Amino acid sequence: MPTGLVDVLHDASVLHRFVDFIGEYCRQQTRSQTYVGSAAVFFRYVEQLAAGIQDELRREIERATKRTPRLATLRRNMRTYRGYLRLLHALIKPAADAHSLTIPGPLVDLASQQLQKVAGMANSRLLILLTPEFMYFQRPHTDIKSQAREIEGFIPSASFPPKLGFIEIPYSQGPSFFTNLAIYHEIGHFVYEELSHRNPSHRAFKALASAKERCLNKAFSPRASKVPAGTRNAGQTGSNRQAFALAEKILENWTQEIFCDLFALRLIGPAFSFALIEMIGMLGVSRTQCVTFNTDHPAPACRFAEHVKLLRDDEWWKEIEDLQAEQRQFLQELANIPIGRYEFFMDDSRRGPRRLLNAFVTDLAPAIKDLVCQLTTRAVPSVERFRRVRHDIQKAFRAGVVPLTDTPDRRDPVCIINAAFCFYLTAVTEVVKRFEEPGHENDVALHSKWKNRVEMWTMKAIEDSQVMQRYKDVQRYGPF
Amino acid sequence: MVLSKREILTRMKGEIDRPGRLVITPLLYKDEDDVFDADSVDLRLGCHFLLPKALDQPFFSPDKTSINSLYVRAHIPLGHFLVVPAHQTILGATLEFIKLPNNVSGQVLTKSSVARTFIVVETAPWIHPEYRGCLTLEIANVSNTPVLLYPGRRTCQLILMSVGGPDDEQQSEAAVVHSVSAKSGTTYFGPVYPEGPKFKDPQDDLLDIGVTRVSTLRRSELRRQKGCWTDEACVQQESRRARRARLP
Repeated sequence: MPTGLVDVLHDASVLHRFVDFIGEYCRQQTRSQTYVGSAAVFFRYVEQLAAGIQDELRREIERATKRTPRLATLRRNMRTYRGYLRLLHALIKPAADAHSLTIPGPLVDLASQQLQKVAGMANSRLLILLTPEFMYFQRPHTDIKSQAREIEGFIPSASFPPKLGFIEIPYSQGPSFFTNLAIYHEIGHFVYEELSHRNPSHRAFKALASAKERCLNKAFSPRASKVPAGTRNAGQTGSNRQAFALAEKILENWTQEIFCDLFALRLIGPAFSFALIEMIGMLGVSRTQCVTFNTDHPAPACRFAEHVKLLRDDEWWKEIEDLQAEQRQFLQELANIPIGRYEFFMDDSRRGPRRLLNAFVTDLAPAIKDLVCQLTTRAVPSVERFRRVRHDIQKAFRAGVVPLTDTPDRRDPVCIINAAFCFYLTAVTEVVKRFEEPGHENDVALHSKWKNRVEMWTMKAIEDSQVMQRYKDVQRYGPF
Repeated sequence: MVLSKREILTRMKGEIDRPGRLVITPLLYKDEDDVFDADSVDLRLGCHFLLPKALDQPFFSPDKTSINSLYVRAHIPLGHFLVVPAHQTILGATLEFIKLPNNVSGQVLTKSSVARTFIVVETAPWIHPEYRGCLTLEIANVSNTPVLLYPGRRTCQLILMSVGGPDDEQQSEAAVVHSVSAKSGTTYFGPVYPEGPKFKDPQDDLLDIGVTRVSTLRRSELRRQKGCWTDEACVQQESRRARRARLP
């Protein structure tokens, strides 16, 4: 037996057992629960990978018993597998928890369908994960994918599902509907990461890059503007270069956040703004925090100002302007805060450069909006249709009935969601009065029950619209 | 009087908030003959189920906790199937959400072709006027073999009957006051998934008819002995009796 083989054999068998557990875990999950499409694809990938790694380990050990030099290679390969499995390990359990009983399946299906219509995102998929954090996230996937590509070199039988985005939902919000509209923002992160990495020379992204450049020039003027764009870093002193790099990173963070907000708004309309306000309310963000930029996020006031601008451009604003809801007033109040009142604090509580903030709001934000509009041309819902069916949908809720999906207008899920959200914010008291015994109008438990009911009926209407649309398509075009 | 197809279709038209409006949504059909019979409408099986759970105690007591204690939830998407074991009953729901008019009752019956596979849908088939929601279906497999259920398939039929005599029918809809059944507290109001039973505790129920002393069995009173459950109170009584028997 070659020297060192016993140690390697031990390591390999431990890894074999680990991989065996992971593969079996995924198999068990898919047998005992149902998942939205992408989770099943992901679990199948993990199973194939597990089987592939086990085969590879067997083969390599067999070879190593004959030739000692293979041991070093095997050790290196095992390190690579372990590193990658550690990444996957963190995804598998949250993905297994997010089965169809714990997430709003119809909403995820709808979001996936809309995502397909975004330029450059055809055939992309969403994997939903449940997180213990009280926040929505998009787990960056570039790192996982680059490692997956490396692993594919060793295990060609398992190829990572292409264009897979990882969206995390707080486990407590799984069954609710309206708060989960926040996933559209996270989908925006996925789109940004996917498109900006895959195709940075995309015309729209190029325009954004040059707007960012202008923004930095303004912030670092007059000195920075004199240096030619390509050589600017070379001409700067060490501390300047550091400050410049930091400013670049901050701008990138803010850009992504505004991009994601506007992306969500384009796809789902004002319901996203309301969902974000609900989320901010639950997180307990104070009024002072609403005007404060930090290194990761622009101030909520700035974000909502951009919301209102886009809602006006897309003609949604006219539809919600007269909504007698605190959320709408809050949205308008924040949007009306002048730029001068915005503040910017760095991570160490120092004030950040004011010029960077100003340049971002005046120069970069319009470019972000243009980029979002270019990418989502095919995915934008019809406001005109919303105008036509809004009252029908709300009338159904008032009558204690799931909205009908018998006409193409009434089947539009974005119209259903927006009409339902407006109803949810303004008219739940009406149904409590109508359907509950008198004297219980202010019962918080009853209000909560009815809010839950409106959410369930909305989800049912979305599900019905999908069933109905599929049925109509089959009637028209035949089975596919 | 049982409503005819024409009457059903007429009642499905008009403003949704009209008390006399019948709602069945989503109703998937190519032409009317597809889902409507002369006197009934076919309903499809929905995707959500409640399956009986193996209990951790030797009995089931219908009380306040029964809505959650007897079942596990399951979601079977369209295109997949659920196996109902032989001689087992599960709860499903119709795919269609229904709202009955204020002067119409309904009855759900197993479709005859489904019944011939020894699947029985509904043992409590009556639906009161103004009911709203997806109908919870008690689906029993009374055959000796497991049977597959596919959500989206036609499983049962709804028969509608007008309530009251000709005088009642003459009442204008506007004059009809909302019946008690429209109040959510009194019925299973607006569910979109199958729902477990809602009971009060037996002592609360029986208090209504003047029964003040109700014997109940608490879990803590039971203990497991030699592989079977025993009532602690009975055990104590038995041992007292045994002690008395030993006395001189």
